[in-house]
Amino acid sequence: MGPASGVHQCVYAPDPMIQADRVSKLFGRATPSTGSSRVRGVLAVDDVSLTIEPGVVTGLLGPNGAGKTTLIRMMTSYLTPSAGVIRICGHDSVLASGAARASIGYLPESAPVYPEMRVEDFLAYRARIFCVPRDKRKAAMDRALDRCSLADVRHRRIGQLSKGYRQRVGLAAAILHDPAVLILDEPSSGLDPSQIQAMRALVRDLTMGGPTGKRVVLLSSHILPEVSLTCDRVLIIARGRIRADGTPEQLVNNAASTSRSEYVLETLAGLSESATGAISAGVGGLPGVESVHVEVLGDGSRRLKIRPTAEAGDLREAIARAAAASAPGPALRELSRRTPTLEEVFNGIVERPESLVPASGVAS
Amino acid sequence: MTRTWAIATREYASFFRTPLGWIVAALFLFLSGLVFAQQTLRPGEPASLRSFFGVWWSMLVFIAPSISMRLFAEELRTGTIEPLMSAPVSEAGLATGKFAGALMFLMTCLAPTLIYAGVLEALSRPDYGPIAAGYLGVVLLGMMYLSVGLLFSSLTSSQTLAFMLTLFVLILSEVGATAAAARLDEPWAGIARSLSVQPRIADFARGIIDTGHVSFFLIMSAFFILSTALALRVRRWH
Repeated sequence: MGPASGVHQCVYAPDPMIQADRVSKLFGRATPSTGSSRVRGVLAVDDVSLTIEPGVVTGLLGPNGAGKTTLIRMMTSYLTPSAGVIRICGHDSVLASGAARASIGYLPESAPVYPEMRVEDFLAYRARIFCVPRDKRKAAMDRALDRCSLADVRHRRIGQLSKGYRQRVGLAAAILHDPAVLILDEPSSGLDPSQIQAMRALVRDLTMGGPTGKRVVLLSSHILPEVSLTCDRVLIIARGRIRADGTPEQLVNNAASTSRSEYVLETLAGLSESATGAISAGVGGLPGVESVHVEVLGDGSRRLKIRPTAEAGDLREAIARAAAASAPGPALRELSRRTPTLEEVFNGIVERPESLVPASGVAS
Repeated sequence: MTRTWAIATREYASFFRTPLGWIVAALFLFLSGLVFAQQTLRPGEPASLRSFFGVWWSMLVFIAPSISMRLFAEELRTGTIEPLMSAPVSEAGLATGKFAGALMFLMTCLAPTLIYAGVLEALSRPDYGPIAAGYLGVVLLGMMYLSVGLLFSSLTSSQTLAFMLTLFVLILSEVGATAAAARLDEPWAGIARSLSVQPRIADFARGIIDTGHVSFFLIMSAFFILSTALALRVRRWH
């Protein structure tokens, strides 16, 4: 009855990876009615396929109720998918659930832990659950305590610790068995800014490790800056579907090429009404300009907001020339192009109506 | 097995880390002491724990659900069930581990009552056969009651509800079986009678170890533990 009895479940596949193939989760039930199959339950995750590679931090970004936690719970075998297959390091999350679960370190949302236990006892318990061999338990615990900076509270009861410490206890428990895959659900929720920064550094650090040296790290968040600062790859999920996938830069660039930039032009403070009018007319007459909106600023300057047409390329040169031609002498103090921020990209993706989503809406 | 044992020992230890465990143990020992002093420790009474075991089954009806109510309900309420059920532990291993932890705690509560046998020894010459059989009966009955409580604890995140449901089912099955045995015709009366635990416990208290009784308690416990495992598995679908 030694620790060896469960060891066969703790072998790792050579390529740490999460693969999801057409995964859906329906809460409630589907009732096929006449003509079309009508969905009566809640489709929390809708036909998601993805592959998550090791060595980089992947972020699952979406508003509350988008299906992030449901998708993660299916990856960790806590929930069984209604359709589709998830493989963790090649192990099917339902058919080879034991092996799949053994290769995951998981920090659930709000890091549930036993308040009455001491930090050290809790980690020892988790080590036994994950069949860390008896002779390696001490080293594994010391390493996890050290990585999560918990050494000074190892004898304290978890219930007495602050939220930030508790979160780190949950993380220490997740990395204890040196898993090939690390899944963190909202790892920085409830932390203060300095703790968030420390968590971010720790998460980035954790991409190295695991049996092959490179670990799969997946974290979820509804906070955009969190994801864009920590993650190398961002998956945006909304209403149960993956809406966008790429590096934070790629997402902004893609959005910039598809969505319209805006140009802002400010005249010098003392510029005459007629000169401003001429500039406005000149710029408004340019090919590729859809509309010009003029507003008066407090210091007597005028701000022109120039909205290009969808097909227009970079108009900065053309606008500068048109403005110079319309008014003699120096007239401008600023000309800039505003590209959408990741925030706007995110909001655009999340709020975009999608006819494929059932009318019942999705909330998890 | 390592994992099941880890769950069992954590569960057992947690009874001593919470006030509930101590209160249950104190209450149990107080009541059993009262029963011993009132019913057994009297001049002219035989040096046996027979009447003592006779009332224990009714004490267990309350004690067992108060031990079992927190087993899963607490984990469901605080969310610790999630890291537990995404760890590589089978549902059966989880249910068995929780059950074993609770059973170890019940046996720990029983252990100090062995002193009553010592008291009898000091005063007279008790027959140890019926005493040993009586303890076996109490442990077997405790197993069955705890397994029923385990199932109800896995169905709700409210400890109070788990306690009430378990208590209700335990009392109803005993009262119902007795009433049905008296009113129904054979073979139903026979089936109802066989579901009643009181005559079985009475046999144990008399010193009779009937393999039928032993199997009854073991099979019922196994049935409820496996039902709990099934309930946990079904939970993954919701």
